[in-house]
Amino acid sequence: MAKRPKAGSHSRNRRKDASGEPLRIGVYVCHCGLNIDGSLDCEEVARFASTLNDVVLAKDSLYTCSNSGQEMIKADIREKGLNRVVVASCTPRLHEPTFRAACGEAGLNPYLFEMANIREHCSWVHLHDRKGATDKAKDLVKMAVARARFLEPQVETHVPITRKALVVGGGVAGIQASLDLAESGYQVYLVEKEASIGGRMAQIDKTFPTMDCSICILAPKMSEVGRHPNIELMTLSEVESVDGYIGNFRVRVRRRPRYVSKECTYCGDCAKGCPQHAPNEFDCGLSTRKAIYSPFAQAVPATYLIDMSLCLNKHGIVACDRCSQACQHKCIDFSQQEEFLDLEVGTIIVCTGSDVYDPSSLTELGYQRFPNVITSLEFERLINAGGPTAGHLIRPSDKKVPKTVAFLQCIGSRSKRSNPYCSNICCMNTIKDALLIREHWPDTKIYVFYIDIRAFGKGFEDLLQRARREGVIFIRGIPGEILQDDRTGNLKLIGENTLLSKLYQYDMDMAILSVGIEPRKDSAVVKRLLSLPSVADGFFMEAHPKLRPVDTPTGGIFLAGCAEGPKDIKDSVTQASAAASRANILMSKGKVTVEAITARINPDLCTGCGACSRVCPYGAILVDPEAKLAQVVEAACAGCGTCAPECKFGAIRMRHFSDEQILAQIDALAETGAKGKILAFCCNWCSYAGADFTGVSRMQYPTEVRIVRTMCSGRVDPAFVEYAFSKGIAAVLVSGCHPGDCHYINANLQTEKRIQRLWKKMARHGLDKERLQLAWISAAEGLKFSQEIQAMKEIVSGVTDEEIEKGIRAFSEKGQAA
Amino acid sequence: MKSPEIFDEALLYECYECARCTGSCPAAFAVEGFNPRNFLLTCLRLGLDAVVSDEKLWCCTTCHVCEDRCPQMLNVTDLLMALMNEAAKRGHIPDKVKAGTGMILHTGRVLLISKRVSEMREKFGLDPLPEIPVEEVEGILEKTGLAGLLG
Repeated sequence: MAKRPKAGSHSRNRRKDASGEPLRIGVYVCHCGLNIDGSLDCEEVARFASTLNDVVLAKDSLYTCSNSGQEMIKADIREKGLNRVVVASCTPRLHEPTFRAACGEAGLNPYLFEMANIREHCSWVHLHDRKGATDKAKDLVKMAVARARFLEPQVETHVPITRKALVVGGGVAGIQASLDLAESGYQVYLVEKEASIGGRMAQIDKTFPTMDCSICILAPKMSEVGRHPNIELMTLSEVESVDGYIGNFRVRVRRRPRYVSKECTYCGDCAKGCPQHAPNEFDCGLSTRKAIYSPFAQAVPATYLIDMSLCLNKHGIVACDRCSQACQHKCIDFSQQEEFLDLEVGTIIVCTGSDVYDPSSLTELGYQRFPNVITSLEFERLINAGGPTAGHLIRPSDKKVPKTVAFLQCIGSRSKRSNPYCSNICCMNTIKDALLIREHWPDTKIYVFYIDIRAFGKGFEDLLQRARREGVIFIRGIPGEILQDDRTGNLKLIGENTLLSKLYQYDMDMAILSVGIEPRKDSAVVKRLLSLPSVADGFFMEAHPKLRPVDTPTGGIFLAGCAEGPKDIKDSVTQASAAASRANILMSKGKVTVEAITARINPDLCTGCGACSRVCPYGAILVDPEAKLAQVVEAACAGCGTCAPECKFGAIRMRHFSDEQILAQIDALAETGAKGKILAFCCNWCSYAGADFTGVSRMQYPTEVRIVRTMCSGRVDPAFVEYAFSKGIAAVLVSGCHPGDCHYINANLQTEKRIQRLWKKMARHGLDKERLQLAWISAAEGLKFSQEIQAMKEIVSGVTDEEIEKGIRAFSEKGQAA
Repeated sequence: MKSPEIFDEALLYECYECARCTGSCPAAFAVEGFNPRNFLLTCLRLGLDAVVSDEKLWCCTTCHVCEDRCPQMLNVTDLLMALMNEAAKRGHIPDKVKAGTGMILHTGRVLLISKRVSEMREKFGLDPLPEIPVEEVEGILEKTGLAGLLG
């Protein structure tokens, strides 16, 4: 196979840039206080940098990102005539924009700036090896300088933003986000899977810590959504597919039929005659509904619906028409069909909410075996005036008012048997519920069995103290098991009071399991549709846990509510407004700047074979068979670079991630001690971010690894790997997002294919396949990254000089010929 | 003092004292002061020495219910058994346990077979219990080190 020409290594030591101007590189090594200087010698690194070719100045400074640091760089650009700037500091995911802007202000094209990550990828992960960390930092700086030599000025393009938003999920977060955006003047599509908006908040009786009636404060917002001219509410609807990119998403929504038209007056006559009954989901199955029903009294839209799985009329054959007979307005229409709606939106806010933990698997607690053991959500319905008992507290077994009630905390939370995290809301919810019982049935004895009470929010501690004052008994120690007296239905709770180290047995009339929150069962679908990463717990991951808490790593998509993590109503609303505001900022600008990293095709080299177009996840490459030429649609190209390795003719140039730039990095790292080093290709979105997370978490791993960032693992040309082996590098790691989670839809599938081919090739040359590793590492898998490097260190220590030589021989022919 | 071959101290730190183990423990309700949670905590805070000399340790029936219910999936029963082994090595074997184990060593059976047992077996049509090769049993227990522990 004719492999395309590669720039030879001699040209990778060029001293002039493309325009013939001599290179003048400035290197700045940041101490980051003690964050970097604490574990490696920054002065030494700067001294080393000053010895590199083309480096005209190298400085170290305490905080390079500070104003004075930036001013220093700007002054040097102006006065010393720097035409490349390298900053060795934190991850480019944090401060690349800062320094690019500083360069721009000093008249240097921002794309002539390069960063060496010596904090997340060096000082923080090698806290106890000053020598090793310093040597690695030198290497990283050398690699950055080598890449900087090949940087070229780029011009960013702007893409217009559709001034419409999609909100997925109509719980309180989705409601708030929709209203905020609608009020700001944007068209909002609110897509809700259920028949009404309202979500979990609509089910709850009172809210903590203020004891407001939940539906009383929610219902006005729900009706505002229903009548707002800027909101198009779509219930019984789900997002089917999402295409496009920031500012220009194309969304297909599937709307299930309601079988009742909008003219419905919500009179309820239809349901009276309906012969079919089913458990009412909104009441957690504690009451029944008909096949034609309204979800709840305050539902928006206030329209009945027919549950076709229950209705006697199937496949358009009308066997029973009692509802349509009863309906005076003739709203019932059995002929309604499922429909698909295509929307164009600029921003998306994901408010898909959460599920509650099902404690049935904790058999010792007897849930679903003993009628008087219920969950906290069921209790909310029991005590709610709109619920099955009209708000009267009764226990399910005999409808009597319970005299003794137990709350069991942390059910389904903080446990390896269920969910390992704290569900955030259960402590306060229980205290609120206990006070509600105390308020209406003051003689009830209330016990709360807990491990820790977490009353951390505004007004929370007050509420806890109030509950204590009002006689709610808090016992530290969760019951080991609940037994039932089958005759009376009473419960016996057996456990240990850990503060007294005494065993207890309490007889209770009713036990309420304070169940935790977990990601929605269908969150994997949303995750796939929108390519969202999630943390190990399954909740969606924010772009930055502190500074971009409602952004997702995907531009134009934001998060709010429990989809991001367990939280209470106030936090959900706060986050929803924040997400709406972030979306508003994007849309009010009206355009978005696209990074100048897209693919360019050299028409002189292109033969129009179309290989690139076949692997492009966005269909952004159009091939003109007559002109024998491929063309990149700039607005659709996301810059993943998957096309470039596919081109046999070297016709594709990835701007800012060019072959020369990456090969120069490999050259620099292979210059000394290659046979002990690991080259790691990390994709910007998952594995590079994962490696950053390893650093932020201060997880330690061996110093041998050097990371080269690409936008996607699809950019990793097998030729890069071969080149690395030809230079005697011991091992190569190619890492990217998990299959299905790729930031570029499915570009990483190409990575996998290419690595498979490389393994075969290595085997043919008698090389140890272990020297090339492929790993899927998400942005949340910091631990996995460090483990991967540990494992590779083991592999490297087993790679003999002979093996290295074999690798050099196997691949160097190409390396030299190129 | 910690003894890494007995348990992983880092694992013990995962215990957050919810007391489900003790609440589930049949022995805890039968014997006052037998408390699996407390044994774990004592190991961690006061060290092994404080636990192994406690004769109540031997009340564990190894029913494993505590393990089934532990939210942190700690091997509570295994830990208690490891502690009993350590206690035995240090000579802290309660007399009753010693007597029972001695029975196995010297007769090959946990219980003495009374005449009444033999009669009952006959009545239910069961074969008479086979003779135990006591010397062989002794040999095995010698090799496993149990005989030595009993001193």
